[in-house]
Amino acid sequence: MLSMSDISKVYRTDLIETHALRKFSLEVKEGEFVAVTGPSGSGKTTFLNIAGLLETFDTGTYKLDNEDVSRLSDDARSRIRNQKIGFIFQSFNLIPDLDLFDNVDVPLRYRGMSAAERKRRITESLELVGLASRIKHIPAQLSGGQQQRVAIARALAGSPRILFADEPTGNLDSLMARQVVDLLDDINRRGTTIVMVTHDTELARRAHRNVHVMDGQVTDLQSYTTKPLVRPEALAAG
Amino acid sequence: MAIRPILSAMLRNKTGAILVGLQIAITLAVVANAVFIIMQRVDKINRPSGIDSENLFFVQSYGYGPNYNHRDTVRHDLDLIRALPGVVAASVTNQIPLSGGGQATGYRTSAGSDTDVTGNVYNVDEHGVAAYGITLSAGRPFTEQEIQYDENVGSKFVPSIIITEALARDLFGESSPLGKNVYDNLGQSAVVVGVIGHMLGAWVDWDELDHVTLHPRIPDGPAVRYVVRAEPGRRDALMLEVEKRLSAADFSRAISWVRSHEYYTERSYRNDSRMVALLSVMIVLMVAVTALGIVGLASFHVNQRRKQIGTRRAVGARRVDIIRYFMLENWLLTTAGVLIGTILAFAFGQWLSSAYALPRLEPIYVVSGIILLWILGQLAVFVPARRAAAIPPAIATRTV
Repeated sequence: MLSMSDISKVYRTDLIETHALRKFSLEVKEGEFVAVTGPSGSGKTTFLNIAGLLETFDTGTYKLDNEDVSRLSDDARSRIRNQKIGFIFQSFNLIPDLDLFDNVDVPLRYRGMSAAERKRRITESLELVGLASRIKHIPAQLSGGQQQRVAIARALAGSPRILFADEPTGNLDSLMARQVVDLLDDINRRGTTIVMVTHDTELARRAHRNVHVMDGQVTDLQSYTTKPLVRPEALAAG
Repeated sequence: MAIRPILSAMLRNKTGAILVGLQIAITLAVVANAVFIIMQRVDKINRPSGIDSENLFFVQSYGYGPNYNHRDTVRHDLDLIRALPGVVAASVTNQIPLSGGGQATGYRTSAGSDTDVTGNVYNVDEHGVAAYGITLSAGRPFTEQEIQYDENVGSKFVPSIIITEALARDLFGESSPLGKNVYDNLGQSAVVVGVIGHMLGAWVDWDELDHVTLHPRIPDGPAVRYVVRAEPGRRDALMLEVEKRLSAADFSRAISWVRSHEYYTERSYRNDSRMVALLSVMIVLMVAVTALGIVGLASFHVNQRRKQIGTRRAVGARRVDIIRYFMLENWLLTTAGVLIGTILAFAFGQWLSSAYALPRLEPIYVVSGIILLWILGQLAVFVPARRAAAIPPAIATRTV
């Protein structure tokens, strides 16, 4: 699903060069739930930005869903983000002036779907996160946990192949955080690959695999999971 | 692109949008009416005079000595002027077209009628038609024998007359005036021998400015005016030459002035020209301020929504989608503004019409204003929209 090989990323200013990623390599299989951990400044967010095609990189090779995405145009990267990737952000990143329906609708409109199809997907994804009854509410009328669930609904509405979560519980209290993680767990069990960046070790334990990043490199690969890896084909078969 | 979500977002964030929308509305109302007034003034300034204005100049001579002989002076002056190289024609004249000063009288179609049609009277000699560069649409110019010279003109009418088509229509309807008599208010008659296609009188704001007559008469002295028509490009040199030659002639008179016709039109239309300039400056300022308002609001929105724009990019918006979003948002704002502005424009036009006796505002000026403001809005928002499109999607993952 995701294959990064020797990815390097350097941020340059007039005075300094910062090596955010150094020969970073990672494989994520379809249906996996991978947690990427590491201290602040270790390169977690840079990894997530590059993996989610939000940023380009300097050297290395990156294949996403068997497609080499190393040298794509800006428009092509937008298309892949829209069709194959779902994002969950630490600050939810909902549009404050739009109600839940229109927030979930944002990525679908860029895909050019019919109004009926969009409505079906929006309703289904809001039902999945338990917020279908609040469809006309604006984000300010929801709790933090509810807002993050709307963000998850937005990410899922487009049926992404892979979900990138950036500290998804970072702004939530423990109860709400547990609800969100349970939801991610459920989504993964339904076959969606999830890559989650977090510094929360408890949260990381819920993933199949834990990737630790330090100084822009993968330093350790651990698996805390006891549950079997659920693949889409397995779901389809049974 | 979605109109409804943009509208609902605008309605939740409406203060800035309302202010700029009102600015657009007021701009449309003022600009549409201002352009309408400008066009009227420009049409007035540029209306055809029916004479060879740019090649004409006028001379005034004033006799003062005991030996001054008006008739001999006029004859001598005109012979001298006509003999100068570059002079097309010259004639006496009592008034100057569009100068603001002149003479008018009433004409009737029968001796007993008590209904006058007013005409602006030019007293000229047999060279008058050529000297003014007038085009006759029917009939002929005066002959030398028709020219009246009376030291005491008083109330005596002329035997023949040349009138404009506009005056002829008001006197005789659509039938040809040639050979018909017109009467003065004493019941004296003159035969219409020529018809002028178009010519203007003396007063620029007179609503019967194209009611003009030529009388075959050399006015009494001691003052006399001449109209001189020069060949193209020779007017200014001839003005100096004529003044020098006439001043040097041995007569008991002085040359009061020599002025081009341009001098009079510029003077008479000065207020109109100033109004055009003033309104033009006002339009430019209003349009510029409105454009700056749109740029300001759009720039504010771009800065305010950096994270939101980054998020839109992250979930799949292309740069062009972001540009379209801002341009559509501006188009909706402009459209709301021009809808209100259309009502304001016609209300303002109605008020101007009743308060200052101006014509009613024509819808084409409002339609043109709407199109102008749509284009202006799109141009003004394009730069902030491009700046928005340059916001990187990675900003979505930044927490600050």
